[in-house]
Amino acid sequence: MVMAVKELGTLHSVGKGIPRLDADEKVRGLAQYADDLNVPGAWYGFVVRSPVAHGRLRGLKKDPGFDWSQVVVVTPEDIPGNNIVDLMGRDMPFIAHDVIQYLGEPVALVAAASRHLARVAGSHIRADIEELPPLLTLQDMVARYKEDPAQLHELASQTIRKGDTEKALSEADMVVEQEYSAGHQEQLYIEPQGMVAIPESDGTMFIHGSMQCPYYINPELCETLDIPPEKLRVKQSAVGGAFGGKEEFPTLLAGYCALLALKAKRPIKIIYDRNQDILYTTKRHPSWSRYRVGVMKDGTIHAIQTEFLLDGGAYTTLSPVVMYRGILHAAMGYRCENVAIDGHVYRTNTFPNGAFRGFGAPQALWAWESMIDELAEACGMTPHEFRLKNCLHQGDSTPTGGILRDSVGSPTVLEKTLERANFSEKLKQCSHGRRGEKKWYGIGLSFFAHGSGFTGDGEARIKAKVALDLEPGDDGKPVVNVRVSSTEMGQGTCTILPQVAADALSIDIRHTAYPMPDTFKVPDSGPTVASRTAMVVGSTIFSAGKKMKAELEAFVSAELFDGQPVVLEQDRFCGSYGDKEMSFEEAAAQYLSRKGSLRVYDQFKLPEFIKWNQKTFEGDAYPAYAWGCNVAELEVDTLTFEIRVTRVTSYWDIGRLLNPVLAKGQVEGGLVQALGYAMLEKIEIKNGKYDADRMQTYVIPTTLDIPEMDLHFVEFPYEHAQPGAKGVGEIPMDGLAPAIANALVQATGIRMRDLPITPEKLFQMMHEEKTA
Amino acid sequence: MAGWNERVTDLSIASTMTFDDVACAFPASLQEALELMADEKTRGRLLAGGTDLMVQWESGVLAMPERAVSVKALPELRTIEETEADVIIGASVTHMDIRRSPLTQKHVPSLVDAAATIGGFQIQTMGTIGGSVANASPAGDLAPSLMITDGAVVLASVRGEREVPITAFWTGYRKTDMQPDELIVRFRLPKMPEGYREAWRKLGPRQAQAISKVMGSCRGCVEGGVVKSFRVAIGSVAPTCVRLYDVEKWIEGKKLNEGTLAEAEKRTSDSITPIADIRSTAEYRKWVTGRIVRGFLEQFADQ
Ligand SMILES: Cc1cc2nc3c(=O)[nH]c(=O)nc-3n(C[C@H](O)[C@H](O)[C@H](O)COP(=O)(O)OP(=O)(O)OC[C@H]3O[C@@H](n4cnc5c(N)ncnc54)[C@H](O)[C@@H]3O)c2cc1C
Repeated sequence: MVMAVKELGTLHSVGKGIPRLDADEKVRGLAQYADDLNVPGAWYGFVVRSPVAHGRLRGLKKDPGFDWSQVVVVTPEDIPGNNIVDLMGRDMPFIAHDVIQYLGEPVALVAAASRHLARVAGSHIRADIEELPPLLTLQDMVARYKEDPAQLHELASQTIRKGDTEKALSEADMVVEQEYSAGHQEQLYIEPQGMVAIPESDGTMFIHGSMQCPYYINPELCETLDIPPEKLRVKQSAVGGAFGGKEEFPTLLAGYCALLALKAKRPIKIIYDRNQDILYTTKRHPSWSRYRVGVMKDGTIHAIQTEFLLDGGAYTTLSPVVMYRGILHAAMGYRCENVAIDGHVYRTNTFPNGAFRGFGAPQALWAWESMIDELAEACGMTPHEFRLKNCLHQGDSTPTGGILRDSVGSPTVLEKTLERANFSEKLKQCSHGRRGEKKWYGIGLSFFAHGSGFTGDGEARIKAKVALDLEPGDDGKPVVNVRVSSTEMGQGTCTILPQVAADALSIDIRHTAYPMPDTFKVPDSGPTVASRTAMVVGSTIFSAGKKMKAELEAFVSAELFDGQPVVLEQDRFCGSYGDKEMSFEEAAAQYLSRKGSLRVYDQFKLPEFIKWNQKTFEGDAYPAYAWGCNVAELEVDTLTFEIRVTRVTSYWDIGRLLNPVLAKGQVEGGLVQALGYAMLEKIEIKNGKYDADRMQTYVIPTTLDIPEMDLHFVEFPYEHAQPGAKGVGEIPMDGLAPAIANALVQATGIRMRDLPITPEKLFQMMHEEKTA
Repeated sequence: MAGWNERVTDLSIASTMTFDDVACAFPASLQEALELMADEKTRGRLLAGGTDLMVQWESGVLAMPERAVSVKALPELRTIEETEADVIIGASVTHMDIRRSPLTQKHVPSLVDAAATIGGFQIQTMGTIGGSVANASPAGDLAPSLMITDGAVVLASVRGEREVPITAFWTGYRKTDMQPDELIVRFRLPKMPEGYREAWRKLGPRQAQAISKVMGSCRGCVEGGVVKSFRVAIGSVAPTCVRLYDVEKWIEGKKLNEGTLAEAEKRTSDSITPIADIRSTAEYRKWVTGRIVRGFLEQFADQ
């Protein structure tokens, strides 16, 4: 089913499990993370925070007994420009000056020569706050929503409408209604947030640190610092994991550092410790979904009506787009002509929730793929029969009326996973809470798509720009440098992009390199988010590489091979008369010595036929979708109700595999993160504060918790973005939680509709069932 | 809380001292350590592996002391020995030492199983039995296996040595019977008698690096389906690890069948009043403790 791809050429690097190009320096401990950066003269910054979740700031008091001459303090009056963090909403200040919206909101910044002194100074500043009642939890938010949404502060909303859902619900043979919820999830990257701001003598502010998106910080900070974009330089240091947690948040940290640096007139460094990092950075949005779905007796889905709510935390930040991705996945994957979706984000008084691998899709799919099993049951069908009957095929239309034109891994991934896992046979062996057994066995299914690239009009607006530079490398030999703002954060960007560039040029990957992004040196290829880098940036590099190849071939033909036609293939320029040949290295060196370095630009263009209405949410929400299917098997210890996922079987269509080893790593890691989301990770709010604030209390899976994984890919390359990748970063996070919940039903008869799935909840629900 | 502002929000600024400010003494012998502890001017916080202390200091749960006295390397505290009746374990013996010793494996097997579930290899290599017991956390994983031996903690000071029954050593949540000038030198643990068995069960949120929600150990002997002897201790369900004397007494002499197992389970649950915390709920703990004890008895009955 793999399609013919135009002008692809032979692939020598793409498709191979080339070892990560950054592996050596990371294994040897040479990589420079933010905390490793040795910045002479740097002071340490510290953020003084509100100790209450909601209130009105009356003023700040500084301890008159403290020696303030040894430190620098920044308050809103010191901000040269506007005290606004310019994300989607312009409602968040860098430093609170009026209303306090969350516990931990900055009220002042302090810097001193040592980290310790900065902290001590911070404890000598007190915010005088008139407390107001806070809204803290998803539960309270949903309770108010059910009572009267007008009581809530709405940060964003959006609808999707297809067909006539109310009418269709009245026509349906059965209407099934259910609610699902999930809480916060912390990214828990290994390297905590860290940043340095260095004021340079020419007035440039140089921001260097741990981040996913250098071009978020520039321009976002320019308004606050009141400097032109060309005076704000942003460079990424080695990043020890991000998972979305270093998408929008680093702008805040860069702002704190830069504001202190301006006043102190020296470099400022802030490195969060784990406690600060958990308490005062973004998390996955807690979510609540309510479905009313009309089905017919024969098992067709006739109408889907759903509300999807996100707890946005204190400010708008990126929440609208997270909600958009949520609603775009909330009814995805199955045929239905009548769909009505309402998405809302409401304010609560916690740290603003933000980007996290999956970006709203895991929340939506947790509910939707649980609901699908409940619908199957209502129709008297097995989970797989119901999915096979309703799932989307090539040519079908999505909830927004987009057409699945090509590269459609459905139903292939579903069929193959079912077969591989022997699902229908094993389903019959499930325990259903039978008495007298030591272990209960269950198997569960989930099937899902993940939109590749930015949601809606995002790619059209950003128009990712890339450059390839042929220039002398450190060793003087010619090298093709991939110049993009797309970052390496552990996921493999710095390996796959050179692979693509090498194949576009038809050269050996050793002639390519990926220098760390620096906004003074790279064009804006967009942020490293939304599973977009392999598809969008990769394909733009591919076409830039083709351009560079043509340019070099023309050069060799005209200047070295007497005008005969030349092709560059497998690292060699060959003249068509058969008498001349030259290695890439030699010819490129000739080019450099005669013409100097060569820069080739390119820019991403969506195919013409991709149409999207950002107001009504109609059309092609994404240029393409990756597809996945998970089968989870689990055992419940009937003595203690401990639940162990023993095996996950899955197939994935992520388009063309650029690097199968890295792709598998993404899937394995994503599934482990999804396992944590499903079964372990939880944060409750006690006295306005997250109760899990350390690695001791925020529990993620260890290697011993990881089930056996049987993972496979099927390739449906995306023809309109060669070499045809669709993105693998997020989809592994999307579907495991519902597969586990669905397996738990087969094991115990209990349906869990709130994450995480724990023995405590199973006990409580078993107990309630018994006493009911 | 040394700061001027009492309402600081970060654990990190709760303490304005750093570990560099702590003067740490490294006595060469037990006698020297006892002498340091005897004098208020030289006395310091006892420091063994530091796996509890470093965390508590860093997070501000405990204020950093001016002085510390390191006992980890004292040779007198590093041995595992036996007498006819007992296994003698030095206070600075690590969890890894306990796992590897043939003496502990043979005579106090549930202690070995418990040690194997503590943290990960790094913690097992640094953390000590003395530190775990003196830390007096109800979630200390070694506690139940120590309690079911009916053994003793041996304390020493310049005034001499004294033995405290393990069952009386913890006097409340993070409280012990130790005097300020005393330190734990060793544990005297009666060996498991011939024909007896021990069992260990830990429920944590995950498979490793897990603080127990509930854990317990038992030592006992079942012959012909009848319980000859049964001692059971459970941790993480009360301010200290607890022995379930009433359940022990009730089950002894009974034949194990569904009726007695169910009754033992119920009596266990009824005998404790655990609390809810970040790791688990009160209701689950109460129920699952009964289940664990039932599981122990079933395991013994299977033999
Ligand atoms: C990552 C991690 C995971 C962990 N996992 C577990 C786990 O799964 N299960 C578990 O039970 N524990 C666990 N712990 C806790 C800890 O490792 C144990 O409690 C350990 O045994 C403490 O021993 P230590 O030698 O490190 O004690 P230290 O930290 O040195 O001291 C602890 C206390 O004992 C006192 N003390 C030390 N030696 C003596 C002595 N000879 N006499 C009197 N007082 C003394 C100290 O003053 C202090 O109050 C974990 C800790 C960490 C950091």
